[in-house]
Amino acid sequence: MTALVDVQNVEKNFPLSGGGNYLALKGIDLEIRKGEFISLIGHSGCGKSTLLNMIAGLDLPTGGTVLLEGEAVKRPGPDKMVVFQNYSLLPWLTVRQNIALAVDEVMPDLDRSERDSVIEEHLEMVGLTPAASKLPAQLSGGMRQRVSIARALAIKPKLLLLDEPFGALDALTRGNLQEKLMQICNEHELTAVMVTHDVDEAVLLSDRIVMLTNGPGSKIGGILEVDIPRPRARLTVVHHPSYYSLRSEIIYFLNRQKRVKQWQARPHKVLPRHGLEKVNLDLGFIPLAACAPMAVAEAKGFFAKHGLDDVQLVRETSWRGVVDGLVDNTLDAAMMPSGMPTWMTAGGHGGPPLPIVSALTISRNGNEVTLAKRLAEQGVSTVEDYRAWLGSHEREPHRIGIVHPASMHNLLLRYWLAANGIDPDKDVHLQTLPPAQMLADLKDGSIDGYCIGEPWNFRAASSGHGVPIVGDLEIWSGHPGKVLGAREDWALAYPNTHIALTKALLEACRYCADPAHWQEMGELLSDRRYLGIKADLIRFSGQPGDSNAFAPHGEPHHLFFGAGLNRPSRSEHLWILTQLARWAEIPFPRNYVEILERVCSVGVFSTAARELGLEDVSYQRSGIELFDGRPFNPEDPIGYLNEVSLHRDFSIAEIPIGQPRTISA
Amino acid sequence: MVTSPNDGLSSPRKTSAINPLTWLLRNQGNWLPPLLGIGGFLLIWQLTSAFGVTRLPSPSSLFTEERTRILIFYPFFDRGGLDKGLFWQTFASLGRVAQGYTIAALVGIAVGITVGLKPTLNRAFDPLFQFLRMVAPLAWVPIALVVFQKNQPAAIFVIFITAVWPILINTAEGVRQIPQDYRNVALVLQMSKGRFFSKVLIPSALPYIFTGLRISIGLAWLAIIAAEIVMPGTVGIGFFIWDAYQQNYVGEIVLGVIWIGAIGLILDRLMVWLQTRIAAGQ
Repeated sequence: MTALVDVQNVEKNFPLSGGGNYLALKGIDLEIRKGEFISLIGHSGCGKSTLLNMIAGLDLPTGGTVLLEGEAVKRPGPDKMVVFQNYSLLPWLTVRQNIALAVDEVMPDLDRSERDSVIEEHLEMVGLTPAASKLPAQLSGGMRQRVSIARALAIKPKLLLLDEPFGALDALTRGNLQEKLMQICNEHELTAVMVTHDVDEAVLLSDRIVMLTNGPGSKIGGILEVDIPRPRARLTVVHHPSYYSLRSEIIYFLNRQKRVKQWQARPHKVLPRHGLEKVNLDLGFIPLAACAPMAVAEAKGFFAKHGLDDVQLVRETSWRGVVDGLVDNTLDAAMMPSGMPTWMTAGGHGGPPLPIVSALTISRNGNEVTLAKRLAEQGVSTVEDYRAWLGSHEREPHRIGIVHPASMHNLLLRYWLAANGIDPDKDVHLQTLPPAQMLADLKDGSIDGYCIGEPWNFRAASSGHGVPIVGDLEIWSGHPGKVLGAREDWALAYPNTHIALTKALLEACRYCADPAHWQEMGELLSDRRYLGIKADLIRFSGQPGDSNAFAPHGEPHHLFFGAGLNRPSRSEHLWILTQLARWAEIPFPRNYVEILERVCSVGVFSTAARELGLEDVSYQRSGIELFDGRPFNPEDPIGYLNEVSLHRDFSIAEIPIGQPRTISA
Repeated sequence: MVTSPNDGLSSPRKTSAINPLTWLLRNQGNWLPPLLGIGGFLLIWQLTSAFGVTRLPSPSSLFTEERTRILIFYPFFDRGGLDKGLFWQTFASLGRVAQGYTIAALVGIAVGITVGLKPTLNRAFDPLFQFLRMVAPLAWVPIALVVFQKNQPAAIFVIFITAVWPILINTAEGVRQIPQDYRNVALVLQMSKGRFFSKVLIPSALPYIFTGLRISIGLAWLAIIAAEIVMPGTVGIGFFIWDAYQQNYVGEIVLGVIWIGAIGLILDRLMVWLQTRIAAGQ
């Protein structure tokens, strides 16, 4: 496979009428192989049509070059035929004449009868022979687009360029035409580039999906390979294991772009007030029962009480959104899984290590493993059953949903599976999914189960789609769940704000720990700004009268406040580091002492607790011991790692996190 | 024939085809209002004339007075010189209109396309076109007479200069309005200039060109009166009216005016018909 089209460092600048320039695209590099189907996806105005036009030669780049078979594209031509969004048929010509116009123009060497047979062949291909003598105005939108496709294919282009070809069609017609196009592309081994808005369309048709970031200066934000085998049919594609992850990857990307755009649209001035360096904060969270302290701090005015006048809670759909929000500074701080601060500090998110500090553990427990109902119907009710069942169903893929590699769900689930003789990478496949996606996947059977926080386990149990198999109380009772996390440079730049934020949330945690408030919290969280589900599905504890399937296992005990509960614990973060290294998410840092010292802002927590008069909550917790009774010695983490029976090949490396630095703004 | 009760069973459409009276009654909404409007207008005119409110002869006098009656019933007489029937007067005028209008159409479409294709030319000449467009036909007459010295070419020039602007401006607009999509198709197919012209430009701009042609035919017909009124000794409906005024035959003036209106209306309908025939399918 050679590159048919080579887009090299292309840039496009549009002069504005009022003077100045609009930089639409910048630094675009893309190679398109022969026979490949590429989709360009992105928000309106991201320059995807501009990129297509430059490949077509209808528009010239202001920097860089587009090569077609090694030659620079300087002008449009029939070798790179375009199918336009609004069909672009000449309305005074019939269907046949429209196609003939192109064929006559491009193939003047053929004699009349040969040209006619080319025209008839392509009319036949799109199934429009009966409508050949009709004018475009007499055809439906779908038929017109078919004519347009036939016209494009009839002149045998090297490259087919489609500019939102199905954008203006109804869903049914769109589906049919997509299938048709796919079939034609397969049969004729066409090379095609398509601009689209439609995520499903992109996944269905493409070999690769190119995602463009927002303008100005749009770049390629990512390229996804679609590994679904061809020929594809819509139904098999939808059930392919990659389908949902590709889809959610694109949707995540698009949402992220939208969020960044919204963030950029707002003014961002640091507002100092009340002796705090910054009182306007954007705090990220994920809609889970454990986010109660954030919601309570907002609703009960704890933020304002501690001088944080302008706090926005930013709801993300996945933990990845929180990671990206901290990386690109669109979030000031966030509620995050307890593994995330060390994971990001060690560079687990893929970029350079980004030191994150945590001054508060917001919640403990509240997680559970749920298996699909269909497994329970086959007699799986314990982990031994599940192991046996996996053995007898070896050939099927077994996927279990987790929310994030750095979340406690992943680490506890892996620990539990491994301790029970199930290899979490070989026997099953753990897949990262947004929490809200899990239940849908459980319903349609694409995952065996999931490990997640409330309310998703209770929801699965109460709707009958899933059965709880083990709760975190039976794995590690009192494990850290969610913590407060912020960038180290942010925390150093706004130390008093950091303390105020910790105080507000600690006070909210105390409020949340009182069972008398749980009903009120359930109602608060059921609001659309937070979870947006019915209040009686949001629980912080098991209740008498729960169904039998639910009660024998660990009821979700959310712990929000208490002695030693909220203080960031170095030994817990160290245990997390060992587990992240055990499953090769990150290398085990040789400088782990330094990392833990930097991550755990014990000083901030102690100051906050003291100022609130809550000194008693700052006591250390006792040692870490999980259900299998293996003690964890914080003095010898590597020894602990070597001892565990099942682990990946982990490495030990120095993680360069540099000197603590404040924001250079 | 009186419709039998049984006819009620057959389709109403068929009945209406058989019986024109029924058809008329059913469609009275279409013909009754204009009939009442015109009738009312004539009635008021008749009354105002009869009571001496205006000095205009009443509509009925067009038939009672001998001069006008002859003109109405014998449009084809020709007694030589200027003393001709209304048909011949109109025919002469139409001949001039045809010449002036044809030149206007040729020049207007050609210049319109050029200007429409070149934005720079458009910017250069558009103010001039807009300015000249505003000059009334009557104002062109003395200029035309000075330039051409003779009546006939001067009249044709006045018609031309009046009729050319709507054609030119509409054609230019039509060319500018060719959708970018059609241009892109031509670009992608690497069409030659000539092919683009005949396959894309002309068909696409045709509705605009026809709009211009239709406006112009009305203007040209308006201009003929202005051109002829001040050109003594020419056969034509314009001079016919002027002549009648000079000799104080008010009835003839009224008749001439009615005649001009009717011809204008027919010309306009003719253009509409032509447009639907040629530009069908758009």
